[in-house]
Amino acid sequence: MGSVTLRNIRKSYGPVEVLHGIDLDVADGEFVVLVGPSGCGKSTLLRSLAGLETISAGDISIDDKVINGLEPKNRDIAMVFQNYALYPHMKVRENMAFSLKLNKVPKDEIESKVAKAAEILSLTAMLDRYPKQLSGGQRQRVAMGRAIVRDPKVFLFDEPLSNLDAKLRVQMRSEIKELHQRLGTTIVYVTHDQIEAMTMADKIVVMKDGHVEQIGAPLDLYDTPANLFVAGFIGSPSMNFMSCTAQGGKAVLSNGQVLGAAPAGLGEGQAFTAGVRPEHFVIGSGALDAPVTLVEPTGAEIQFTVDIAGDHVLITTRDRVTARLGDTLNLSVEPGKLHAFDPETGARLGGV
Amino acid sequence: MNRRSDTWLAYFMILPVVAAVLAFVIGPTWDVGTLSLTSVVMGQERGFGTLSNFRALFADPVFPTVVKNTAIWILGGTILCVMTGLAVGMFLAIDSKMTMGLRAIILLPWVLPDVVTAMAWKWMLHGQVGVIGDYISRMGLTDGAISFLGNPDLVMWMLVIVLIWRKMPLVALILCAAIRSVPSEQLEAARMDGANGWHRFRFVVVPNIAFSLTAVTVISMIWITAEFTLPWVMTGGGPANSSQIMSTYIYQQSFQFFNWGVGSAMSVVNLVFLMTVVGLYLYINRRSWAAGGNS
Repeated sequence: MGSVTLRNIRKSYGPVEVLHGIDLDVADGEFVVLVGPSGCGKSTLLRSLAGLETISAGDISIDDKVINGLEPKNRDIAMVFQNYALYPHMKVRENMAFSLKLNKVPKDEIESKVAKAAEILSLTAMLDRYPKQLSGGQRQRVAMGRAIVRDPKVFLFDEPLSNLDAKLRVQMRSEIKELHQRLGTTIVYVTHDQIEAMTMADKIVVMKDGHVEQIGAPLDLYDTPANLFVAGFIGSPSMNFMSCTAQGGKAVLSNGQVLGAAPAGLGEGQAFTAGVRPEHFVIGSGALDAPVTLVEPTGAEIQFTVDIAGDHVLITTRDRVTARLGDTLNLSVEPGKLHAFDPETGARLGGV
Repeated sequence: MNRRSDTWLAYFMILPVVAAVLAFVIGPTWDVGTLSLTSVVMGQERGFGTLSNFRALFADPVFPTVVKNTAIWILGGTILCVMTGLAVGMFLAIDSKMTMGLRAIILLPWVLPDVVTAMAWKWMLHGQVGVIGDYISRMGLTDGAISFLGNPDLVMWMLVIVLIWRKMPLVALILCAAIRSVPSEQLEAARMDGANGWHRFRFVVVPNIAFSLTAVTVISMIWITAEFTLPWVMTGGGPANSSQIMSTYIYQQSFQFFNWGVGSAMSVVNLVFLMTVVGLYLYINRRSWAAGGNS
């Protein structure tokens, strides 16, 4: 069991409040990813959950038991740090056994737990090495092993893949996800990388400036972002935004061209920010003419940058479109794929 | 061609240092070494290749006292210096306004000249007019003023206390810097792992500062072995040789009694001891994980 509940968590450093009342429910066994740009408070929230930071207000509970005042060691939580935080003077085996040794677990039990964790993480051959003799990915696995042997209620990961190179990051990403499926333990995972969040999470929490912007399943966030920030943050390449006005059920651009059907529920003449993902443009079948300013083939798809009403708009297609620089593309937006946001507040407008 | 002239240039550039080391370190050491094996009578050299100086030294009734005092001085001084330095360093490593100020002023004892320190402490510890003895007797702890430097059982330890007062601040600062550079994630990971304050000190802080700790221990040991002014000005080896240590005894034998032979023999013993310490240090450091860097 390991369900986590956060209620109205606030954290201030002196007069500066960095968390403005965070509410979050994590079900037992769920993989939750906190994602947001640097300084959004996601790491602070995680460290508060771990007990490494004190909170100014609110309640943190695990399995309905409030743990606000408990020391980190009494919270039954294990944490994996960004730079691994392995003890350099201890061998891999001792690193993994350290917490059990401190808790006076019998020796043979320690040995079997370490051996089991090492087997799960394919570290058996490296148990007698020092951390400095390991590669980055192996060190990361040792850090996870140190967490696994304790069999905690919740695992916390603080940007665990940031120090790895791109290829290893992809590999470790799937390893962590497999590990979660195998152990079934609740995981709260912090990252600034939205792809990590999308690929790993059961539930994503998008944060910005100490506020939660949206909570939801990865594809829900992708398909129906609650506001301009989430829309721009989730997805790569990111969503295109254009200023539009609703006229007769159409989204009309500033130069008078029609982008597509406006979402239901917008008032006649209402100005809004239209958002369209690059892959939701259809090429060759529309009323919208846009000159190509850049062509970038990536192999699997082709990226076109076009000029729509003075904005640079990115379009991706999996078809072999042969348009070149200076050509004009006929575009339309897939039905129902045009998002509308309030230009002032950024909130989502119109029907779903 | 070019390469060869580079080599010569390199030799030429290090020549002044090599010459200085030869003239002022190797030369005198060689002289002391040969002198210790030469019999000297009334200032006249009478034959080389004798161990008579060492025999005379070991037959000297004061020599056992000197060895015992030197052991207290070097071992007691080093161990206490490093231990108090570690405790003070731990305290200074805490971030607060008070420790920031203290980090600056703690170096005061260290910037005073040796002679000033020695004279000040000598008078403070004086048997009749010393402020410390006076204070203690006024508090009613003792019947009369204690003669701290006149009591053969106390005097060595008094010297050690003054020595620590003087040498500990730098040790504390070096260790403070080392403690502050212990990665905070390791300490946090240890907290998550269930480590209490003592565990974190023992299993995270100490291993991480092991390199600085051994270095500072050996350096203090060398400083303390070489320290002469403090004991010489404070007691001059007295009363009745009860605070005579290697450095003061060498000075006394050589430059007051002009007993060059015995003085140089004692210097050789001192040198062998110091080289053992340094050798041990290099050996430990080579073996230590810390020597490989913390990567």
